[in-house]
Amino acid sequence: MISLRGLSKRYGDRTAVEDLSLELKPGAVTGFLGPNGAGKSTTMRMILGLDRPTAGTALVGGVPYHEIRHPLRTVGALLDARAVHPGRSCRAHLLALARSNGIAGSRVEEVLEAVGLADAAHRRAGALSLGMSQRLGIAGALLGDPEVLMFDEPVNGLDPDGVRWVRRLMRSLAGEGRTVFVSSHLMSEMQLTADHLVVIGRGRLIRDAPLAEVIADSALTAVVVRSPHAGDFSVRLAAAGIRVERSGENELVATGAGIERIGDLAYEAGIRLHGLRTREASLEQAYEELTAGSVEYGARKAEA
Amino acid sequence: MGIGDLGRAAAAEWTKLWSVRSTWWCLAGTVVLMVLSALTLGGATATEMLRDGGTASLPAGEPVVSATIFAQFAPVAAAMLMITSEYSSGGVRTTLQAVPVRGRMLAAKALVAAAVAFTAGVVSGGAAAAAVHVVLSGEPFGGHVTLPPVQTALDLLGVGLFFALVSVITVGVGAAMRSAAGTLTAVFMLLMGLPLLLAATGAPPALEVALRMPLPAGLAFMGSTDNPTGGPIPYPAGEGLAWLLAWTAAAVAAGHAVLRRRDA
Repeated sequence: MISLRGLSKRYGDRTAVEDLSLELKPGAVTGFLGPNGAGKSTTMRMILGLDRPTAGTALVGGVPYHEIRHPLRTVGALLDARAVHPGRSCRAHLLALARSNGIAGSRVEEVLEAVGLADAAHRRAGALSLGMSQRLGIAGALLGDPEVLMFDEPVNGLDPDGVRWVRRLMRSLAGEGRTVFVSSHLMSEMQLTADHLVVIGRGRLIRDAPLAEVIADSALTAVVVRSPHAGDFSVRLAAAGIRVERSGENELVATGAGIERIGDLAYEAGIRLHGLRTREASLEQAYEELTAGSVEYGARKAEA
Repeated sequence: MGIGDLGRAAAAEWTKLWSVRSTWWCLAGTVVLMVLSALTLGGATATEMLRDGGTASLPAGEPVVSATIFAQFAPVAAAMLMITSEYSSGGVRTTLQAVPVRGRMLAAKALVAAAVAFTAGVVSGGAAAAAVHVVLSGEPFGGHVTLPPVQTALDLLGVGLFFALVSVITVGVGAAMRSAAGTLTAVFMLLMGLPLLLAATGAPPALEVALRMPLPAGLAFMGSTDNPTGGPIPYPAGEGLAWLLAWTAAAVAAGHAVLRRRDA
């Protein structure tokens, strides 16, 4: 549904996004990850036609955003939850959006109900908490019942209930066959929400792969072996080019090979095993490895 | 495409305009400024006529037209907020997500600003004319003030059109400047500051330019004998409207150029 080809954005001599090419597929939640300043928001703004790319194209359903006749019925996006006139009521804000795209006014009450703001419909946007503002922003994204949804940091400011609600919402939107593109800094949340990941750093694509693959490829994803012959086996594994660490008298941790390969090697060597399991890296760990070289605004590590 | 899409974009702008309090304040301000300015200006003229004696009459529409010199800044403020409040809150990004064709977004705002300012001009002008007639037609002012119906109606339409066009100028400048402070300064200079400065130089070419800026052009179009730059306006009402339309087109073109070029 969304396809980026060679998308680039430069501000003077600073490059925000560099030659980004992606295809976002329907029916999945694609997590958009990267350190601060990596170019996530800029990329989303270019998809929505708000920022003009320096080079390359961003197409939604094969056309540039501005050529979509009723864009809110195709793409729903939440970029900045606070970007509403503080004096305007939730209802009026949504009603104006509905009118601009020929969406029935009854949708306003529906989405307010869906995001849990029905009782706050007449509250002014400036009087909402950050969490409620996020809900209003999500209501705006859902208004046109679009096939594509984009959310920039949607759980910012939400309480744990709200975070779970957003997670279920994303999953169900993708389950309905929609394209869901969501950026977040919360790796634990992304690990629970996303099917697919796009990781960028300093404006460049670092990884575009299914979540499971990103985690499996982490150096911290390892196979834990329990065996009375752990010592012998570690020598065999090292000879096979697999990195091994002894983690106890009868236990070792092997990285750089899948569980099947380790099991086969034990069988071939006739080594008795008492336990064989995969210890998965967390997305947080995998993400840190991927972006280690591209943290733009990272704090300098204190000298030890 | 076409008119239906513009209509929907304008409907959205209409909804947004009436859902914030500042609009109501600006419109109330328009009425108050028109009535007070017209009474003050009309009172001064009537007193002068009384002192000079004679039987000349003062149509109520005359001080009403002159009152626009001061009251124009209330509809200007309403028009300005339609665009600058979106840049200050960031809401312009939501607006452009809904209406991504920039020219259509600008046209929708200009259309709504013009319609509201036109109505505000006619209504506030009517209130001011009525106030002038009620207060100044009595004996202490010598009975010079009259309320000729056709002439007054034409004056009010003129005031409405003038307010509509300065509001569209403001929307254009607002789209180019984005900030409220910048827009207000630029519009004030365009409407008041520059004509006065140019006239103050005393140089004939500068005065010629000053006389063709939006406010003198608008006053000429409305048939006013008042001219803030001093001296008579050396061209007919129709030419005043032409100059005013030219300024409006230039402001909208500037706003559109910036909207298209700059990121939102």
